[in-house]
Amino acid sequence: MENFIVLIPLFPLLAAICIGSLHLFSVIEGEKSERFTARVANYAVGLSCLIALLLLWQDCWFGNNAVLTLGSWLSVDDLVIKLSFFTHGFSLKLAVIFALLLCVVMRFSVNYLHREAGFHRFFFVLSLFAFAMFMLVLSANALGTFMGWEIAGLCSYLLIGYLYNSQNATHNATRVFITNRIGDAGFVAGLVLCYLWLGNINWLDIPVFIHHLSAQKLNLIALCFVIAAMVKSAQFPFTPWLARAMEGPTPSSAIFYGAIMIHSGVYLVFLIRPLLELTPLIAGFVAVIGLLTAFYAYFVGLAQTDIKTSLIFATSGQLGLLFLECGLGFWELATWHLCAHIIVRAYQLLTAPSLLHNIQSTSIQNAPALFATNRRFYTYATQRFWLEPITDWLIVKPVMNLASDLNYVDKQIIDPLMGSPAPTIHVISSLAQAQERNIGAQLDSTEDTFAQGSGLAGKLTQWTASILHWFEYHFILHGASDNVFHYGRRLGHIANQTELTLLKPRYLVTFIFITLLVAM
Amino acid sequence: MSANLEHSHSHPMRPRELISDALAHIDHILPAQGPILNFVHHNTIHGFQHLPFEEALAEVDKLTGIVGYLPEHAMRQFYEKGRISDTDIFAALAEKKTLDCEGVFCSLPSQTIYRKTVYRLALLFDFSAITSSQFTWQIQTLHALNSLQSDVPQAVRERLFLGADNEKSVIYALWQVILAKLKLSTTLMHSEDLLNLTSTQIDEWFAQSQFEENNNVRDAWSKQANDLLTQHFSSLGESFTLRGLVNQLTGVDCLQFVQPQLIRLCASALDEGIASWSLPERHQLGLYGAWRAMLSYDVHDALVELPTAQQIIDELPENAIDTIILHLSAHHIPQEKWAVYLQRLALELPGWAGMINWREHHGEYSPENDVKPKLADFLAIRLTLDRLWLDKICQETWHVEARLDKLQAYFEKNRAEFVIRYQLYNGHLPEYISHQAQELMQFSRYKKTLTSRFQQLADVIWTWQHSPLVEKHASTDAVYTIAWRVFRLCQHLGLNAANVNLLSETQLRDMLHLLDEFTQTERQKIWLVAYERHYREQIFQGLTANYLRGRWYQRKSRPCAQLVFCMDDREEGIRRHLEEYVPAIETLGAAGFFGVPMNYKGLDDESLTPLCPIVVVPAHDVHENATSTDSLALSKHHSGRRLLLKFNYLLHHGLRRNLGLSYLVINVLAPLTLFNLLSKSLQPKPQHGLLGRLREKISPTPRTQLHFIAPNNSDAATPEHTRLGFTDNEQADRVTAFLRNTGLTYGFSEIVVLMGHGSISQNNPHIAAYDCGACSGRHGGPNARLFAAMANRTEVRNLLAQRGILIPSDTWFMGAEHNTCNENIEWYDLDALPLERVNAFKVLEAQLKHAQEMSAHERCRRLASAPKNTTPQKALYHIQERATDFSQARPELGHATNACAVIGRRALSQGAFFDRRAFLISYDPTQDLDGKILEGILLAVGPVGAGINLEYYFSTVNNERFGCGTKIPHNITGLFAVMEGSNSDLRTGLPRQMIEIHEAMRLQIIVEAKTSVLEKIYARQPSLIELISGGWVHLSAKDPDSDAIFVFERGVGFVRWENGNSIHSLTMYETSPEYYRNHSEPLSPVLIAQPN
Repeated sequence: MENFIVLIPLFPLLAAICIGSLHLFSVIEGEKSERFTARVANYAVGLSCLIALLLLWQDCWFGNNAVLTLGSWLSVDDLVIKLSFFTHGFSLKLAVIFALLLCVVMRFSVNYLHREAGFHRFFFVLSLFAFAMFMLVLSANALGTFMGWEIAGLCSYLLIGYLYNSQNATHNATRVFITNRIGDAGFVAGLVLCYLWLGNINWLDIPVFIHHLSAQKLNLIALCFVIAAMVKSAQFPFTPWLARAMEGPTPSSAIFYGAIMIHSGVYLVFLIRPLLELTPLIAGFVAVIGLLTAFYAYFVGLAQTDIKTSLIFATSGQLGLLFLECGLGFWELATWHLCAHIIVRAYQLLTAPSLLHNIQSTSIQNAPALFATNRRFYTYATQRFWLEPITDWLIVKPVMNLASDLNYVDKQIIDPLMGSPAPTIHVISSLAQAQERNIGAQLDSTEDTFAQGSGLAGKLTQWTASILHWFEYHFILHGASDNVFHYGRRLGHIANQTELTLLKPRYLVTFIFITLLVAM
Repeated sequence: MSANLEHSHSHPMRPRELISDALAHIDHILPAQGPILNFVHHNTIHGFQHLPFEEALAEVDKLTGIVGYLPEHAMRQFYEKGRISDTDIFAALAEKKTLDCEGVFCSLPSQTIYRKTVYRLALLFDFSAITSSQFTWQIQTLHALNSLQSDVPQAVRERLFLGADNEKSVIYALWQVILAKLKLSTTLMHSEDLLNLTSTQIDEWFAQSQFEENNNVRDAWSKQANDLLTQHFSSLGESFTLRGLVNQLTGVDCLQFVQPQLIRLCASALDEGIASWSLPERHQLGLYGAWRAMLSYDVHDALVELPTAQQIIDELPENAIDTIILHLSAHHIPQEKWAVYLQRLALELPGWAGMINWREHHGEYSPENDVKPKLADFLAIRLTLDRLWLDKICQETWHVEARLDKLQAYFEKNRAEFVIRYQLYNGHLPEYISHQAQELMQFSRYKKTLTSRFQQLADVIWTWQHSPLVEKHASTDAVYTIAWRVFRLCQHLGLNAANVNLLSETQLRDMLHLLDEFTQTERQKIWLVAYERHYREQIFQGLTANYLRGRWYQRKSRPCAQLVFCMDDREEGIRRHLEEYVPAIETLGAAGFFGVPMNYKGLDDESLTPLCPIVVVPAHDVHENATSTDSLALSKHHSGRRLLLKFNYLLHHGLRRNLGLSYLVINVLAPLTLFNLLSKSLQPKPQHGLLGRLREKISPTPRTQLHFIAPNNSDAATPEHTRLGFTDNEQADRVTAFLRNTGLTYGFSEIVVLMGHGSISQNNPHIAAYDCGACSGRHGGPNARLFAAMANRTEVRNLLAQRGILIPSDTWFMGAEHNTCNENIEWYDLDALPLERVNAFKVLEAQLKHAQEMSAHERCRRLASAPKNTTPQKALYHIQERATDFSQARPELGHATNACAVIGRRALSQGAFFDRRAFLISYDPTQDLDGKILEGILLAVGPVGAGINLEYYFSTVNNERFGCGTKIPHNITGLFAVMEGSNSDLRTGLPRQMIEIHEAMRLQIIVEAKTSVLEKIYARQPSLIELISGGWVHLSAKDPDSDAIFVFERGVGFVRWENGNSIHSLTMYETSPEYYRNHSEPLSPVLIAQPN
């Protein structure tokens, strides 16, 4: 029976493969195939849900083993990663809730997306997402969790950009995707450190091994995972990405950001609970971040004027409280709160378009009088404390400039040195050029046509002759005094410029990084 | 600024007035849709309604680039489906006299080609020029020179290949002849061939280019670059704003940065209750003032490093109009362009600008926490933000401020750079050039002096432009423009090489000339007329065939019941089914406010809501009160309701607003929510019923009555000083007028039902658009209830008798409301029903039950996800479930089928199947010889019907721009509109889910009246002249005494309609379901058997 656990992620994966490949080869297309796609996706998630419920029932009445291992997934050198799943406890319960909500959202989307051009694409992504989330919660080793984590992130990117014709949507999707990479870096770092220092990345084994580690190492590992969790669950200062994610269709907003994916950060915190219990410093950090997020989201949320954004800041607030609970060690409370919040927010986001009808004649209570009329605070709230411009200024802009500089260096210096094809300016590609040639004014020619050679030796001779000619022409024929002075000055200027450029913060930081890398 | 003010006295108008005037003028081009809860259908381009339809569409196209006709491919699909026939096309062509369609185009021994043949082909097939790459593809991949074009019909194919043994050679010979005649030759080239020019090419292009005169490439280039520069800068204002100009030259769109700031601000000013924290002092300071006050705390500008921010913000004037003047002057936009510039600016975010403009012009609309936004505020803020960003972009790119004069001066010095930038960012360049251009743009950051490289590249671009590769105007001589089009046309005309050989070069070129003259707009106009004509012929034939078949021309016997429905097209189905089931029932139609405009306050309402057409301002208030005997029930109702509201608040506001409280609520409510969510998803109807019963248990509805009687000695009521209730005389006036309007002045049955309507569905922000248009997008039930209550009063009946309307004492009026979404019927004041009438009512209720089921059954045929060919009971269940299903984006289809309006006796249309496509308005011409009643009806119904029809028309022809696109990403903003996602323009118009099956045609109004009567009314009423002579609706007259129909032709008058269909009888079906079974497409009228 416990072996069936593997089917839970498998069914949606098969559905995704089926819908994706058939759609790719245009076997299913347009309105006529909607029924097929909808059925495949719904049955797959429905079956997963059933199995999850069965396993939960069995776990509750008879008790399952904690982990089911199904052989090794990959083994490189002394690293052996087992394909293993949680079949017991919190992970299974969470999987059941995810499965139920996925069922609801799948069903919802069948009618809601009827006749949309992206119908099949949507169900493909949603099925893939279901697979990813089941992997994320059920995998008993960190690599499986990470795989789910990454695929879920990709799906989220694809659905925020669902209306890929809209510039807003694609821009926001990319921004969200890139922000999330920071968290992924944290996750990867955590994984690598675990492997280096513990030699093991199974969630249940980690508590056994960590007792040998020094406090600094523990702190570092915990911090890496906490950063990953913070980004995924939109904690301060990463909160703004969540508001950008509201571009997709309503059901995907509900399932990704109201309900399921957004909570995977909290789930990760649950997974590293043994680590956090040994590292009070990081636990404290988690609590502080949670508290900050809750206040930030509450404060900013008060001023939000569209229903999706308003709901999403409310979600952030509760996520902050969840972090706070975890940080303070109220794990049981957090367990219930997490499940409850998932359900209630999913419901709220799915019914968000009913708002006008639902609120009837109730009107929202005003913000606390303490600051309601304070313009300064209101500005902070509407500008969301400028978190995005600040990160842009601190990180995005320097990186982009660096990239642009490198590109320039590449094109202007490296390419000619490496002998990549420069634009063929010596063949005639414009009429103006042709005319000039006809007239005989070869203004742009730097080549001396006097010396012409063939073959390698010939060419070498020719180039040498040209260089000598150029030298002679510029320095001797044109009178040494003027030009030598001029070129000397230019050389000096260039040297100055280089020095100034290198002192710019972005280069300094780069050099420091390089030095650190080399040192390590 | 001072400089500007100084020389402004040379201008006839002072700057402030100039701006105010310009702003007032913008009013008519912005969407006029109000807050979404008050959704009222109106002509989407209402601001242009003073122009004739075609001219208005041309104006809109010129201004916004939105074409107001269905795309040709949609029309061609209709043609393929037989919804437009050749006859319709030829008739539409013949109507357009300037086309001279009967003229002979050319004569060949084998055949004569008429102009109309060419026109028809131009309509049905695409003869536009192609590009050289497409041409290459046609030849190399599709082998177009050796095979017949795939869209040539079979008949033509046979004629073309008659007697030919080798089809390939026939086509190739044709191509050769055409090339020879036109003196062209096939050349295939790839754009990268231009990297290395051959001397032949150079010589050729030198020879054929325009710069022969002075024979200097550079001079010619200079001239052309200058022209481009001047022309581009001079179209600033008319075609784009400075934002557009800079975007076109740098590829950076400043709106991308400005829009989030602007939208956040506007939304927080206009918000009506999503946020709990609103813009401080928005009421006192206004939108602009409040924003300006906030600026000193905002460090956004510093963070994004806007160079001129501090200086600009410091000098911002207090008044929005002064700010506009300041920025326009700072940009050095010439004063004569200010008006167009502001217009263009407003049109860049038409939704937001339109909403603010609507609020400015509707001062009476005052939601809580009132702000009085002005269009000037919006534009002033937009201009400020634009200027901050434009300065930044211009500084970074060219080291100048965003000033028109400086930019122009810069580019006059750097023309090559201008040309390259212009070509690059307008997407004209082939890949090999755009790569280089992009690289240059990147390097211009690092190197200041790139002049020679710019010039080199500009030369390359220019050469490319003179090569045969670049897409040229269709009339320019190129093998893929001229020859290709002639080639295709000849094939469709069935001309082979021998035929073409007989034609001269001029004749071939004339062919294309004819095609060119018949522009796309002209073709779309013809298509529309043909499409409408096809439908018109069908209904006229239906009406003619149905002549004298319908019941109740005169009420010679007493109907067993009379039901007055709203004129709404959605009620046609249920009426027809009821009549088919019980022939002794008479149904009537009228505007759904039943002639009683009022400000209504329901039992639980906190304020009055006007229930009447949007153009009427009611003078009377009506309250719904609990009956005096029911005070206990009332208090239970109120206490229960308070509880429910608290709960509602908690769920829909509290969970967002309050961090700590929601923590508790979430933890407590989660299990219930999970149950609710699962049941809502799996079994929506039972779940909905359960919630309803629960609600009723907590807060039972008490028995209520309307408080609508005012003492007879009351002061006169006016819209400014409304009064509670109507006096007896006022009541009698309204009842009389309504009965006279509908012709229900005699032959009253035992029960007369007034059936208002409304619609309730889930997850549907546009819910008001499904409600009663005659009640300003609200439910019409209270009006029906009020009318019935008035007409049942003895005092009123006595007054009616004095006015000649005798209502038998055993006649009882009843009010009810029909839910067009789930088919429910809610009855009002049942406890007041006299005991003697109860039996009749019970019978009627059972009959209506059948009609509800059948109406649901008929609706299912057009809903893709509904069961087909099911039983009426199951159909009704499905329809009811649909209304409660929160995943259903199409709970009902609204007015999607509307196409005509029949004003006349029901007998005209009763007995025929009109497919729920007709507004039905009861009117008896025999009781209105002078046309006074008709005049009133036309004035009320004309604009309402046209409004609904035209909103659907425009939302259908271009759903992205005139409509609000798909519902899927819609996000309710501030409780007044929807956005796409969290940062878009407000979306106005109808969502795609509402118009998918709509057929975009103008309303056919058919009036049962003498043409002489109609002509007089028409001549008297400017609003009707505007609608009818402007071509916004079509009018025709059905003669009351014969089967003759007269069509009103614009500029001509009424013209007798000739029945083109030689078979005068239509197919007859026993019942409607027999006809519509197995059909999901629109159906043409047929006759339904009548009982003997």
